[in-house]
Amino acid sequence: MTVVIVDYGMGNIRSIKSTLNYLGVQDVIVSFDPKVLKNGDKLILPGVGSFGKAIARIRERGLDVCLNELVVNGSKPILGICLGMQLMGISSNEDGINNGLGLVKGLVTKFDNTHLKIPHVGFNQVMINNKLKLYNGFEEEADFYFTHSYKMTSSYDISQCHCKYGDDFVASFENNNIAGVQYHPELSQNNGLHVFRNFLEKF
Amino acid sequence: MLRKRIIFTLIYSDGFFMQSRNFRLQKVGNLTWLERNYRFQKIAFSLDELIVLNASKNVKSMLQFAETVSELVNDVFIPIAAGGGIRSEEDAEMLFNHGADKIVLNSALFEKPELVESLIKIYGSQSIVASIDYKKSEGVNEVYINDGITKIDIPLEEYLKYVESLNVGEIYLNSIDKDGTGFGFDLEVISEMVTKIKMPLIIAGGAGNEMHLSEGLKINGVSAVATANLFNFIGNGLPKARKKIIDSGINVANWT
Repeated sequence: MTVVIVDYGMGNIRSIKSTLNYLGVQDVIVSFDPKVLKNGDKLILPGVGSFGKAIARIRERGLDVCLNELVVNGSKPILGICLGMQLMGISSNEDGINNGLGLVKGLVTKFDNTHLKIPHVGFNQVMINNKLKLYNGFEEEADFYFTHSYKMTSSYDISQCHCKYGDDFVASFENNNIAGVQYHPELSQNNGLHVFRNFLEKF
Repeated sequence: MLRKRIIFTLIYSDGFFMQSRNFRLQKVGNLTWLERNYRFQKIAFSLDELIVLNASKNVKSMLQFAETVSELVNDVFIPIAAGGGIRSEEDAEMLFNHGADKIVLNSALFEKPELVESLIKIYGSQSIVASIDYKKSEGVNEVYINDGITKIDIPLEEYLKYVESLNVGEIYLNSIDKDGTGFGFDLEVISEMVTKIKMPLIIAGGAGNEMHLSEGLKINGVSAVATANLFNFIGNGLPKARKKIIDSGINVANWT
Protein backbone atom coordinates (compact mmCIF):
# COMPACT_ATOMS: atom_id res chain seq x y z
CA MET A 1 0.00 0.00 0.00
CA THR A 2 1.18 3.50 -0.83
CA VAL A 3 0.17 6.36 1.42
CA VAL A 4 0.84 9.88 0.25
CA ILE A 5 1.20 12.64 2.83
CA VAL A 6 0.15 15.82 1.06
CA ASP A 7 2.98 18.27 1.51
CA TYR A 8 2.23 21.96 1.52
CA GLY A 9 5.52 22.78 3.16
CA MET A 10 4.53 23.56 6.72
CA GLY A 11 5.27 21.98 10.05
CA ASN A 12 6.18 18.51 11.18
CA ILE A 13 5.03 15.65 9.00
CA ARG A 14 7.81 13.37 10.11
CA SER A 15 5.85 12.02 13.07
CA ILE A 16 2.99 10.99 10.76
CA LYS A 17 5.44 9.31 8.43
CA SER A 18 7.15 7.44 11.24
CA THR A 19 3.79 6.34 12.66
CA LEU A 20 2.75 4.90 9.28
CA ASN A 21 6.10 3.14 8.95
CA TYR A 22 5.67 1.74 12.45
CA LEU A 23 2.28 0.35 11.39
CA GLY A 24 3.93 -1.47 8.54
CA VAL A 25 3.24 0.85 5.60
CA GLN A 26 6.40 0.59 3.55
CA ASP A 27 5.61 3.22 0.96
CA VAL A 28 4.99 6.54 2.62
CA ILE A 29 5.56 9.36 0.17
CA VAL A 30 5.61 13.02 1.04
CA SER A 31 4.64 15.00 -2.04
CA PHE A 32 2.64 17.82 -3.59
CA ASP A 33 2.87 16.45 -7.12
CA PRO A 34 -0.69 15.74 -8.40
CA LYS A 35 0.61 12.70 -10.31
CA VAL A 36 2.02 11.18 -7.13
CA LEU A 37 -1.21 11.90 -5.25
CA LYS A 38 -3.17 10.21 -8.02
CA ASN A 39 -1.07 7.07 -7.80
CA GLY A 40 -1.30 6.77 -4.00
CA ASP A 41 -3.75 4.31 -2.45
CA LYS A 42 -4.58 6.64 0.42
CA LEU A 43 -3.98 10.30 1.19
CA ILE A 44 -3.25 12.14 4.38
CA LEU A 45 -3.71 15.89 4.64
CA PRO A 46 -1.54 16.83 7.60
CA GLY A 47 -1.97 19.74 9.85
CA VAL A 48 0.37 22.21 11.35
CA GLY A 49 0.32 25.92 10.72
CA SER A 50 -2.12 28.71 10.11
CA PHE A 51 -5.15 28.34 7.86
CA GLY A 52 -4.55 31.33 5.58
CA LYS A 53 -0.98 30.43 4.75
CA ALA A 54 -1.80 26.75 4.29
CA ILE A 55 -4.76 27.22 1.93
CA ALA A 56 -2.74 29.73 -0.11
CA ARG A 57 0.07 27.20 -0.54
CA ILE A 58 -2.42 24.48 -1.45
CA ARG A 59 -3.94 26.67 -4.18
CA GLU A 60 -0.51 27.78 -5.46
CA ARG A 61 0.34 24.16 -6.03
CA GLY A 62 -3.01 23.33 -7.64
CA LEU A 63 -3.75 20.82 -4.91
CA ASP A 64 -7.31 22.06 -4.35
CA VAL A 65 -8.36 21.04 -7.85
CA CYS A 66 -6.40 17.81 -7.62
CA LEU A 67 -7.94 16.78 -4.26
CA ASN A 68 -11.44 17.55 -5.47
CA GLU A 69 -10.85 15.39 -8.51
CA LEU A 70 -9.45 12.47 -6.51
CA VAL A 71 -11.69 12.35 -3.45
CA VAL A 72 -15.00 13.90 -4.57
CA ASN A 73 -15.22 12.82 -8.21
CA GLY A 74 -13.11 9.79 -7.43
CA SER A 75 -13.23 7.74 -4.25
CA LYS A 76 -9.69 7.87 -2.98
CA PRO A 77 -9.64 7.67 0.85
CA ILE A 78 -8.32 10.77 2.59
CA LEU A 79 -7.72 11.58 6.25
CA GLY A 80 -7.30 15.20 7.31
CA ILE A 81 -5.43 15.79 10.55
CA CYS A 82 -5.85 18.88 12.76
CA LEU A 83 -5.42 21.88 10.44
CA GLY A 84 -5.73 19.37 7.60
CA MET A 85 -9.24 18.58 8.79
CA GLN A 86 -10.06 22.27 9.12
CA LEU A 87 -8.81 22.92 5.59
CA MET A 88 -11.44 20.44 4.38
CA GLY A 89 -14.20 22.70 5.72
CA ILE A 90 -16.18 25.50 4.07
CA SER A 91 -14.27 28.41 5.58
CA SER A 92 -12.23 29.63 8.51
CA ASN A 93 -11.88 33.00 10.19
CA GLU A 94 -8.20 32.50 11.03
CA ASP A 95 -6.17 35.27 9.28
CA GLY A 96 -9.36 36.89 7.97
CA ILE A 97 -12.04 34.88 6.20
CA ASN A 98 -10.61 32.17 3.96
CA ASN A 99 -12.48 29.56 2.00
CA GLY A 100 -11.48 25.96 2.59
CA LEU A 101 -11.55 22.98 0.28
CA GLY A 102 -15.27 22.45 0.84
CA LEU A 103 -15.00 18.69 1.30
CA VAL A 104 -17.14 18.81 4.44
CA LYS A 105 -19.91 21.16 5.60
CA GLY A 106 -18.07 22.57 8.58
CA LEU A 107 -17.15 26.10 9.66
CA VAL A 108 -13.91 26.87 11.45
CA THR A 109 -13.90 29.60 14.08
CA LYS A 110 -11.75 30.58 17.03
CA PHE A 111 -12.58 29.31 20.52
CA ASP A 112 -14.38 32.34 21.88
CA ASN A 113 -15.16 31.36 25.44
CA THR A 114 -13.29 33.87 27.59
CA HIS A 115 -13.00 31.46 30.50
CA LEU A 116 -10.95 28.94 28.56
CA LYS A 117 -7.24 28.68 28.18
CA ILE A 118 -6.43 28.93 24.48
CA PRO A 119 -5.02 26.97 22.67
CA HIS A 120 -6.79 23.80 23.73
CA VAL A 121 -3.75 21.62 24.43
CA GLY A 122 -3.49 18.11 25.79
CA PHE A 123 -5.44 14.89 25.96
CA ASN A 124 -9.19 15.22 25.98
CA GLN A 125 -12.06 12.77 25.69
CA VAL A 126 -13.79 12.15 22.39
CA MET A 127 -17.35 10.89 22.62
CA ILE A 128 -17.61 8.08 20.13
CA ASN A 129 -21.33 8.24 19.47
CA ASN A 130 -20.87 7.58 15.78
CA LYS A 131 -19.09 4.28 15.52
CA LEU A 132 -18.07 4.37 11.92
CA LYS A 133 -14.98 2.93 10.29
CA LEU A 134 -12.51 5.20 12.10
CA TYR A 135 -13.57 3.91 15.50
CA ASN A 136 -13.91 0.25 14.76
CA GLY A 137 -13.08 -1.55 18.00
CA PHE A 138 -13.31 1.51 20.28
CA GLU A 139 -15.39 1.93 23.45
CA GLU A 140 -17.81 4.88 23.92
CA GLU A 141 -15.07 7.37 24.64
CA ALA A 142 -11.33 7.67 24.22
CA ASP A 143 -8.56 10.19 24.99
CA PHE A 144 -6.76 11.89 22.12
CA TYR A 145 -4.13 14.63 21.95
CA PHE A 146 -5.33 18.02 20.76
CA THR A 147 -3.50 21.27 20.14
CA HIS A 148 -5.47 24.01 18.39
CA SER A 149 -6.97 27.47 18.82
CA TYR A 150 -9.63 27.12 16.12
CA LYS A 151 -12.40 24.57 16.03
CA MET A 152 -14.86 23.18 13.52
CA THR A 153 -18.59 23.11 14.10
CA SER A 154 -21.38 21.96 11.82
CA SER A 155 -25.13 21.96 11.92
CA TYR A 156 -25.26 19.30 9.24
CA ASP A 157 -25.07 15.58 9.75
CA ILE A 158 -21.44 14.95 8.92
CA SER A 159 -21.19 11.85 11.12
CA GLN A 160 -19.27 13.77 13.68
CA CYS A 161 -17.89 12.76 17.03
CA HIS A 162 -17.61 15.54 19.56
CA CYS A 163 -15.12 16.71 22.09
CA LYS A 164 -16.04 19.22 24.76
CA TYR A 165 -13.89 22.20 25.59
CA GLY A 166 -16.24 24.90 26.73
CA ASP A 167 -18.67 24.02 23.97
CA ASP A 168 -18.83 20.92 21.83
CA PHE A 169 -16.81 20.93 18.65
CA VAL A 170 -16.08 18.45 15.87
CA ALA A 171 -13.37 16.04 16.99
CA SER A 172 -13.80 13.95 13.87
CA PHE A 173 -16.09 13.38 10.92
CA GLU A 174 -16.42 10.65 8.37
CA ASN A 175 -18.22 10.52 5.06
CA ASN A 176 -17.48 7.39 3.04
CA ASN A 177 -13.92 7.91 1.79
CA ILE A 178 -13.44 11.35 3.39
CA ALA A 179 -12.54 11.62 7.06
CA GLY A 180 -10.97 14.19 9.30
CA VAL A 181 -9.74 14.33 12.88
CA GLN A 182 -9.09 17.47 14.89
CA TYR A 183 -6.74 15.63 17.22
CA HIS A 184 -3.29 14.31 16.34
CA PRO A 185 -3.51 10.52 16.05
CA GLU A 186 0.27 10.42 15.53
CA LEU A 187 0.70 11.93 19.01
CA SER A 188 -2.07 10.05 20.79
CA GLN A 189 -0.36 6.86 21.91
CA ASN A 190 -2.26 3.61 21.33
CA ASN A 191 -5.59 5.27 20.61
CA GLY A 192 -4.00 7.18 17.76
CA LEU A 193 -2.32 4.09 16.34
CA HIS A 194 -5.72 2.38 16.46
CA VAL A 195 -7.37 5.16 14.42
CA PHE A 196 -4.56 5.05 11.86
CA ARG A 197 -4.89 1.28 11.62
CA ASN A 198 -8.61 1.65 10.99
CA PHE A 199 -7.96 4.23 8.28
CA LEU A 200 -5.44 1.92 6.63
CA GLU A 201 -7.59 -1.20 6.88
CA LYS A 202 -11.23 -0.10 6.67
CA PHE A 203 -11.13 2.71 4.13
CA MET B 1 -12.58 16.91 30.32
CA LEU B 2 -9.20 18.25 29.30
CA ARG B 3 -6.48 16.28 31.07
CA LYS B 4 -3.44 17.72 32.77
CA ARG B 5 -0.05 16.72 31.43
CA ILE B 6 3.21 15.26 32.71
CA ILE B 7 6.20 16.36 30.66
CA PHE B 8 9.82 15.29 30.72
CA THR B 9 12.43 17.86 29.77
CA LEU B 10 15.76 16.73 28.40
CA ILE B 11 18.60 19.19 28.72
CA TYR B 12 21.11 18.87 25.91
CA SER B 13 24.51 20.45 25.43
CA ASP B 14 27.16 19.72 22.79
CA GLY B 15 26.33 16.07 22.19
CA PHE B 16 25.42 15.17 25.77
CA PHE B 17 22.40 15.13 28.03
CA MET B 18 22.83 17.09 31.20
CA GLN B 19 21.56 17.36 34.73
CA SER B 20 21.07 21.03 35.41
CA ARG B 21 21.16 22.53 38.87
CA ASN B 22 20.42 26.23 39.14
CA PHE B 23 21.40 26.30 35.45
CA ARG B 24 24.86 24.86 36.08
CA LEU B 25 25.19 21.86 33.82
CA GLN B 26 26.62 18.48 34.70
CA LYS B 27 27.25 16.00 31.93
CA VAL B 28 25.28 12.76 32.37
CA GLY B 29 25.57 10.81 29.14
CA ASN B 30 25.17 10.76 25.39
CA LEU B 31 22.32 9.36 23.30
CA THR B 32 23.48 5.78 23.92
CA TRP B 33 23.41 6.36 27.65
CA LEU B 34 19.98 7.90 27.39
CA GLU B 35 18.63 5.01 25.39
CA ARG B 36 20.01 2.52 27.87
CA ASN B 37 18.47 4.26 30.86
CA TYR B 38 15.46 6.01 29.35
CA ARG B 39 13.84 3.95 26.63
CA PHE B 40 11.40 6.54 25.41
CA GLN B 41 9.63 3.96 23.28
CA LYS B 42 8.88 2.15 26.54
CA ILE B 43 8.29 4.94 29.01
CA ALA B 44 6.42 7.17 26.55
CA PHE B 45 3.23 5.73 28.02
CA SER B 46 4.08 7.52 31.22
CA LEU B 47 4.56 10.85 29.50
CA ASP B 48 2.27 13.23 27.72
CA GLU B 49 5.04 15.18 26.06
CA LEU B 50 8.76 15.48 25.72
CA ILE B 51 10.65 18.77 25.65
CA VAL B 52 14.27 18.89 24.49
CA LEU B 53 16.29 22.01 25.21
CA ASN B 54 19.71 22.92 23.89
CA ALA B 55 21.29 24.66 26.88
CA SER B 56 24.83 24.82 25.54
CA LYS B 57 26.60 27.95 26.63
CA ASN B 58 28.93 27.68 23.63
CA VAL B 59 27.85 28.55 20.11
CA LYS B 60 24.85 26.29 19.59
CA SER B 61 24.98 24.00 16.56
CA MET B 62 21.37 23.84 15.36
CA LEU B 63 22.07 21.02 12.92
CA GLN B 64 23.76 18.78 15.47
CA PHE B 65 20.92 19.44 17.92
CA ALA B 66 18.25 18.81 15.28
CA GLU B 67 19.87 15.51 14.39
CA THR B 68 19.75 14.46 18.02
CA VAL B 69 16.07 15.39 18.15
CA SER B 70 15.42 13.26 15.08
CA GLU B 71 17.09 10.28 16.78
CA LEU B 72 14.91 10.75 19.83
CA VAL B 73 11.57 10.90 18.02
CA ASN B 74 11.72 7.54 16.26
CA ASP B 75 8.80 5.37 17.33
CA VAL B 76 7.75 7.76 20.06
CA PHE B 77 4.12 8.75 19.51
CA ILE B 78 3.93 11.75 21.78
CA PRO B 79 4.50 15.44 21.03
CA ILE B 80 8.07 16.66 21.06
CA ALA B 81 8.92 20.31 21.61
CA ALA B 82 12.47 21.44 20.91
CA GLY B 83 14.33 24.68 21.33
CA GLY B 84 17.34 26.56 22.57
CA GLY B 85 19.12 29.05 20.34
CA ILE B 86 16.35 29.62 17.77
CA ARG B 87 17.12 32.99 16.19
CA SER B 88 15.72 32.67 12.68
CA GLU B 89 12.97 31.09 10.60
CA GLU B 90 15.59 28.68 9.24
CA ASP B 91 16.46 27.47 12.76
CA ALA B 92 12.79 26.78 13.46
CA GLU B 93 12.26 25.08 10.13
CA MET B 94 15.25 22.82 10.74
CA LEU B 95 13.79 21.61 14.05
CA PHE B 96 10.32 21.02 12.57
CA ASN B 97 11.88 19.12 9.68
CA HIS B 98 13.78 16.93 12.11
CA GLY B 99 10.64 15.86 13.94
CA ALA B 100 9.77 18.60 16.41
CA ASP B 101 6.02 19.11 16.80
CA LYS B 102 6.49 22.40 18.60
CA ILE B 103 9.39 24.77 19.13
CA VAL B 104 10.48 26.45 22.33
CA LEU B 105 11.49 30.11 22.28
CA ASN B 106 13.11 32.03 25.11
CA SER B 107 15.55 34.87 24.32
CA ALA B 108 13.82 35.56 21.00
CA LEU B 109 10.65 36.50 22.88
CA PHE B 110 12.47 39.54 24.22
CA GLU B 111 15.06 40.20 21.55
CA LYS B 112 13.16 39.30 18.38
CA PRO B 113 9.41 39.66 18.83
CA GLU B 114 9.11 40.12 15.03
CA LEU B 115 10.53 36.60 14.60
CA VAL B 116 7.94 35.25 17.05
CA GLU B 117 5.22 36.94 15.02
CA SER B 118 6.40 35.52 11.71
CA LEU B 119 6.79 32.01 13.19
CA ILE B 120 3.21 32.18 14.47
CA LYS B 121 2.05 33.21 10.99
CA ILE B 122 3.68 30.15 9.47
CA TYR B 123 3.24 27.47 12.11
CA GLY B 124 0.35 28.78 14.21
CA SER B 125 0.30 29.80 17.88
CA GLN B 126 -0.16 26.25 19.07
CA SER B 127 3.30 25.33 17.76
CA ILE B 128 5.11 27.87 19.91
CA VAL B 129 6.07 27.27 23.54
CA ALA B 130 7.39 30.36 25.30
CA SER B 131 10.00 29.54 27.92
CA ILE B 132 10.55 31.98 30.77
CA ASP B 133 13.31 31.63 33.37
CA TYR B 134 13.11 33.58 36.60
CA LYS B 135 14.99 33.96 39.84
CA LYS B 136 14.05 35.62 43.08
CA SER B 137 16.20 38.46 44.34
CA GLU B 138 15.25 40.57 47.36
CA GLY B 139 11.60 39.69 46.98
CA VAL B 140 11.46 40.50 43.26
CA ASN B 141 10.99 37.81 40.62
CA GLU B 142 13.57 38.71 37.99
CA VAL B 143 13.49 37.38 34.43
CA TYR B 144 16.60 36.01 32.73
CA ILE B 145 17.30 35.20 29.09
CA ASN B 146 20.30 33.66 27.28
CA ASP B 147 20.38 30.47 29.37
CA GLY B 148 19.99 32.32 32.63
CA ILE B 149 22.88 34.70 31.94
CA THR B 150 21.25 38.01 31.04
CA LYS B 151 18.85 39.71 33.40
CA ILE B 152 16.17 41.86 31.85
CA ASP B 153 14.51 44.80 33.48
CA ILE B 154 10.92 43.65 33.43
CA PRO B 155 9.50 41.92 36.50
CA LEU B 156 8.00 38.46 36.01
CA GLU B 157 4.33 39.38 36.16
CA GLU B 158 4.68 42.12 33.57
CA TYR B 159 6.84 39.90 31.38
CA LEU B 160 4.27 37.09 31.47
CA LYS B 161 1.65 39.52 30.20
CA TYR B 162 4.02 40.75 27.50
CA VAL B 163 4.71 37.17 26.36
CA GLU B 164 1.01 36.39 26.39
CA SER B 165 0.42 39.43 24.18
CA LEU B 166 2.76 37.89 21.57
CA ASN B 167 0.03 35.28 21.06
CA VAL B 168 2.25 32.25 21.69
CA GLY B 169 0.64 28.88 22.42
CA GLU B 170 1.87 27.97 25.89
CA ILE B 171 4.14 29.28 28.60
CA TYR B 172 6.88 27.15 30.19
CA LEU B 173 7.74 28.80 33.48
CA ASN B 174 10.99 27.70 35.06
CA SER B 175 12.42 28.70 38.42
CA ILE B 176 16.21 29.01 38.28
CA ASP B 177 16.38 28.83 42.08
CA LYS B 178 14.52 25.52 42.17
CA ASP B 179 16.03 24.07 38.98
CA GLY B 180 17.50 20.62 39.60
CA THR B 181 17.22 20.83 43.37
CA GLY B 182 14.53 18.20 43.78
CA PHE B 183 13.02 20.32 46.55
CA GLY B 184 9.68 20.75 44.81
CA PHE B 185 8.12 23.43 42.63
CA ASP B 186 8.06 27.11 43.53
CA LEU B 187 4.42 26.76 44.56
CA GLU B 188 4.02 30.24 45.96
CA VAL B 189 5.08 32.11 42.82
CA ILE B 190 3.33 29.64 40.51
CA SER B 191 0.02 29.93 42.39
CA GLU B 192 0.20 33.69 42.06
CA MET B 193 1.34 33.88 38.42
CA VAL B 194 -1.15 31.31 37.14
CA THR B 195 -3.95 33.71 37.96
CA LYS B 196 -2.40 36.46 35.82
CA ILE B 197 -2.44 34.68 32.48
CA LYS B 198 -5.01 32.94 30.37
CA MET B 199 -2.91 30.64 28.23
CA PRO B 200 -1.83 27.11 29.13
CA LEU B 201 0.93 27.10 31.75
CA ILE B 202 3.61 24.43 32.07
CA ILE B 203 5.57 24.64 35.30
CA ALA B 204 9.17 23.51 35.71
CA GLY B 205 11.98 23.60 38.22
CA GLY B 206 12.30 21.58 41.39
CA ALA B 207 10.20 18.44 40.96
CA GLY B 208 12.17 15.56 42.43
CA ASN B 209 9.51 12.96 43.07
CA GLU B 210 5.93 11.95 42.38
CA MET B 211 4.62 13.98 45.30
CA HIS B 212 6.05 17.17 43.83
CA LEU B 213 4.46 16.46 40.46
CA SER B 214 1.13 15.93 42.22
CA GLU B 215 1.48 19.20 44.13
CA GLY B 216 2.00 21.04 40.85
CA LEU B 217 -0.87 19.30 39.08
CA LYS B 218 -3.23 20.20 41.90
CA ILE B 219 -2.74 23.94 41.39
CA ASN B 220 -5.83 25.35 39.74
CA GLY B 221 -5.01 26.58 36.25
CA VAL B 222 -1.71 24.74 35.86
CA SER B 223 -1.95 22.76 32.60
CA ALA B 224 1.19 20.65 32.89
CA VAL B 225 4.11 19.81 35.13
CA ALA B 226 7.61 19.24 33.82
CA THR B 227 10.67 17.62 35.32
CA ALA B 228 14.20 17.53 33.96
CA ASN B 229 15.52 15.41 36.75
CA LEU B 230 17.41 12.60 35.01
CA PHE B 231 18.61 11.06 38.25
CA ASN B 232 15.41 10.90 40.25
CA PHE B 233 13.22 9.44 37.51
CA ILE B 234 15.67 6.96 36.05
CA GLY B 235 14.58 3.47 34.96
CA ASN B 236 10.92 2.93 35.79
CA GLY B 237 10.70 6.07 37.95
CA LEU B 238 8.33 7.80 35.57
CA PRO B 239 5.90 4.89 35.03
CA LYS B 240 5.70 4.44 38.80
CA ALA B 241 5.11 8.14 39.39
CA ARG B 242 2.36 8.31 36.78
CA LYS B 243 0.61 5.29 38.20
CA LYS B 244 0.58 6.80 41.69
CA ILE B 245 -0.72 10.08 40.31
CA ILE B 246 -3.53 8.35 38.44
CA ASP B 247 -4.37 6.22 41.47
CA SER B 248 -4.65 9.34 43.60
CA GLY B 249 -7.41 10.59 41.28
CA ILE B 250 -5.62 13.45 39.55
CA ASN B 251 -6.97 14.25 36.10
CA VAL B 252 -4.26 12.92 33.75
CA ALA B 253 -4.81 10.72 30.72
CA ASN B 254 -4.79 6.98 31.28
CA TRP B 255 -4.13 4.96 28.14
CA THR B 256 -3.72 1.49 29.54
